[in-house]
Amino acid sequence: MEYLASDKIAIVDLGSGDITEEELDEDLVLEKIGGAGITRFLYDRFEAEDPIVLGSGLLTGSLVPGSALSVMTAKSPLTDKVSHVPFVLDAGMEFKYSGFDYMVIKGTSEKPVYLWVHDGIADINDAGEVWGKDVWAAVDYVREFMGDDLIQVIGIGQAGESGSTLATTCVNYWQGGDRLGFGSLLGKKNLKLIGLRGMGLLEIAEPEDFVEDCAELVSAVKSGPLQGKKGIAQMAATLGAENMEDWIDPLTHRHMSCFNTPFPTNSFVFMDEDPALLEESKVEEPGFLLTDIHPLTLFKRMGLSAKDAFNVLKGCAKYGIDAAAVAELSEKAGNTSPEDIEKSLAQLKGPVDSAGNSVFSPWAWVGDQDPQAWERRQAVSYIFGIHPLFALLSSELTEAKLLDLASLGTELELTQETLDEVVAGITGK
Amino acid sequence: MTYPKIAIYAGEGASHSWLWFVELFDRMGFYDLSFLTESTLKENGLMGKNVLAMSGGDTFAIAKGLGKTGAQRIRQFIQSGGLYMGSCAGAYLPLNSSKEFLNLFNFVPAKITNLSRSLPKPLRLKDKFCTCYGCSFIFHPVRETVQVRTNGFAPFGNPGTLLAPLFGGPPMTISNPASVLATYTGFTDKTLFLVDRALAENTVLGKAAVIREKMGAGHLHLYGPHFEHPHFDRANQLLAEAMYWDTRTQDNASTAMGNPDAEVAVSGKQAENLIRAIKREISNSRIVAAGLEMHPVQWVIGDKIYDPGKIRVFLEAVWARLRYLEKANRLWMKPGQDVEVVTQTSNLTSLVRDIKRGLDQGTNTLETARTLFLELRRNCTLFLHIYFRTMIHQFGGIHEG
Repeated sequence: MEYLASDKIAIVDLGSGDITEEELDEDLVLEKIGGAGITRFLYDRFEAEDPIVLGSGLLTGSLVPGSALSVMTAKSPLTDKVSHVPFVLDAGMEFKYSGFDYMVIKGTSEKPVYLWVHDGIADINDAGEVWGKDVWAAVDYVREFMGDDLIQVIGIGQAGESGSTLATTCVNYWQGGDRLGFGSLLGKKNLKLIGLRGMGLLEIAEPEDFVEDCAELVSAVKSGPLQGKKGIAQMAATLGAENMEDWIDPLTHRHMSCFNTPFPTNSFVFMDEDPALLEESKVEEPGFLLTDIHPLTLFKRMGLSAKDAFNVLKGCAKYGIDAAAVAELSEKAGNTSPEDIEKSLAQLKGPVDSAGNSVFSPWAWVGDQDPQAWERRQAVSYIFGIHPLFALLSSELTEAKLLDLASLGTELELTQETLDEVVAGITGK
Repeated sequence: MTYPKIAIYAGEGASHSWLWFVELFDRMGFYDLSFLTESTLKENGLMGKNVLAMSGGDTFAIAKGLGKTGAQRIRQFIQSGGLYMGSCAGAYLPLNSSKEFLNLFNFVPAKITNLSRSLPKPLRLKDKFCTCYGCSFIFHPVRETVQVRTNGFAPFGNPGTLLAPLFGGPPMTISNPASVLATYTGFTDKTLFLVDRALAENTVLGKAAVIREKMGAGHLHLYGPHFEHPHFDRANQLLAEAMYWDTRTQDNASTAMGNPDAEVAVSGKQAENLIRAIKREISNSRIVAAGLEMHPVQWVIGDKIYDPGKIRVFLEAVWARLRYLEKANRLWMKPGQDVEVVTQTSNLTSLVRDIKRGLDQGTNTLETARTLFLELRRNCTLFLHIYFRTMIHQFGGIHEG
């Protein structure tokens, strides 16, 4: 596979420590396009070895607006379905540039390890120093040890290490898109984290036309319904959440976009400092990045103040547990004290309704939208590598346009018929 | 077809610009390269070579490092038919001088015009503007791209203008006009003026940019601007043609393009693991080095200022060539070099990470940086030795078995 790809699939066997590589066959791309289409294919191929499969979308890391997503595919311990969770911020892009298009992680390590994926090399390193630490300490450790603050980390905290089905895989310090208990899958494999860094380049088959079309698409998106919207509160409001802006905005310090996403869907909040602070914070752990709408709606419904809710979210992110599941179980137990919720994290157990029934993580909150259209749209996002929340709210990003761009970028003839088949294969519908 | 055997000086005082020679020769298929330090040059490293390429750097440090023995070796090399090709600092080195160590290299009776007893007022880049020279100063009136005109003398052929980058190299005068292959004729919109424009014009324009001088049976080619810089195709071509012109009749030019004595081939899984090990550590180092480039740190090593951006110049020279070695059936090297190159690259990662930690903690990183640049040079030359030996075996006509 020559274009928009590193042309490499890594097969990592944590049991034996062996890492093998395969080329990404162009015929496979013609048949499954990419992203969740191919991670599902690889999952099925290695199913007997209980794999976790990472993959980038065909357009991930490109100039296509919203091209921030990579995907993790495995069997969810909460739904018992082969499912897909997104990883965004800069981690999806970084995976694409790390030198592998897909990575199958199979087997179980005898001792705690972490994966260091960089420039087409995957290393299994000893995690003895970092096992038992929370997510934030683990991120600090790997960045300091490797000597680069731009390393993107998909990791687990103590929740994942203990095998809790509510454990989530965080992206750097923050709650990621994993609402399906994948954190426990890493924990069972004795895999603390995956560090990603790549300085590779992507070749584009028809670069001039590709760039021109992307620029037109960015213009169209920016003048669409999302025009002027910023931050998680406005995204939530757009999806039907009520009074969210009044609750969040007073503590909002700044907004943050995922890679090449024209609208910032995340908001950084300050709990212990003036949100209007302009100079660099002197606090050791300043603020928190809100990345997930659903737990916000739940904690708000439970009557927590924004500050209390954000502190609970921070505790969940450090412990590596799904905050929406925590909110749901705490509400059911009548536990609305932020201190008591934080103390209860280690005891909480699933199942939870908030995991949903879809093969996609419910992270891209459905709100009051049509669930079926939502699922189709997510499938397309996961195949091409588009930030799902952004794709869901940007109708300008049509399937035909994504197919055109993928064809321009790869020189492959990708058709609507193929896309329909791949979507059906992923969703089972 | 014969190919010159080229020695590239990468020892004491050399900056990273010797890698530009490597890039040029690699691109043009001159694979018979070897790399000399001040020690190996003094130990007769020029024996059997056709060309000595002396790059930019710190002229005083180069002269001091080579000393009397090094100067004698170079003199003998040229007089017996070798070609000395000097660029920037490598052009200053063999010019007549009365200064200690430099006076060992009085090979060419040319003068530089950027020497002044009173230092002109610098407009910018004060740290790269001048060097003390006894009671006088060598100052650099301009940097970046300048225009030069070839004068129609062989081996440069018909007169014409071209662009080349000037990074401190000399404007020169010499009594024999036939020695001047090219003259500085103008500035460009990319020329950076470090002094008043009138002074720059007076110092540079009309002066010799490239000199070719005979010495015994051999020649010296002295380039003020970096004709070997990879972004200047026409200058690269002229430099290569001139080199070929003055080496084409030498007896020891390489036909088989190789010296397979005492070399071993590493193949199969062993080669794969070797490339992987190098790739792992170079990747680790370049990731840290890229991050360091955001840091406002500089190190003064010798008379030169080093910033973190220079680290990656060495690393990328290795990185860019790994993919060719990945495709080679066999890697050729001296016994033990496989272990040595992996140990060295691993050491680079440790050093560059030490610098990052030091900067994060606010400690002095000068000594570590000094060691790092030394190790980068050593590692790079060792790797390039393996690379070029492999390229020769693959493309250069050595018949295996």
